[in-house]
Amino acid sequence: MIRLRVPSALLYRDLAVRAVQAACKLVGDATSSAALTVHRDFDDHVVSAFSEAFNNAAIHSYRDRAPGEIEVEIEPAADCITLRLLDRGNTYVIADVPDPDLDALPESGMGLYIIKSFMDEVRYDPGDAVAGRPNVLTMSKRLSDGGTK
Amino acid sequence: MNFERIDRGDETVLKISGALDAMSAPELRPTIDALIADARGSVKVDLSSLRLIDSSGVGVIVSLYKRMRAAGAVMTLEGLRDQPLAIFKLLRLDRVFVLE
Repeated sequence: MIRLRVPSALLYRDLAVRAVQAACKLVGDATSSAALTVHRDFDDHVVSAFSEAFNNAAIHSYRDRAPGEIEVEIEPAADCITLRLLDRGNTYVIADVPDPDLDALPESGMGLYIIKSFMDEVRYDPGDAVAGRPNVLTMSKRLSDGGTK
Repeated sequence: MNFERIDRGDETVLKISGALDAMSAPELRPTIDALIADARGSVKVDLSSLRLIDSSGVGVIVSLYKRMRAAGAVMTLEGLRDQPLAIFKLLRLDRVFVLE
């Protein structure tokens, strides 16, 4: 597993995104041209979802409270990748966040929709400050879905 | 992110390169305000050198589109590819822009 711990600021997003981008290259076999095409979509989708998740953690988790840290765990496997973002800030209920009305050409509120659309599995476990347990957003994506979703 | 505004007669080309995201998108707002204030008739946004975009970056592009449309002007996109193209397709922005 690859672990990264950064301050909860957008300034560190590019660093974290590059780590995820590099980890995507460790998934599957990207040697044939067909595999490369699928891989490019897979990488684009994973990077897009992770970028939004990092934004949410950096912007919303520590809103109205002291800045904290974001921990990133990256688990590349033979045919999938799993990402976890851990923070100790504000919690939310993922089911309470509505999908954007795309017909209205929204200018915000699209982050979670991008995450859910581009990843195969998304789970948010709110933490418990008293018990010292962080909020954990877990996202995973299989390579076989990379070019089809 | 870097961007460049080039005025050619009534048309403006706005070339954006690098990453247009939550960190950099606010830097573009004054330029968008200026395009509207200058009553440009046509703006072509060149995204051929855009490496990464997130929902905040899309929000800025959509905002420009809406304000141009409200002013009776035209905005088009060109050069979208890779990750930015995937995001624009997911958000079904092919309904308002020619993406490829």
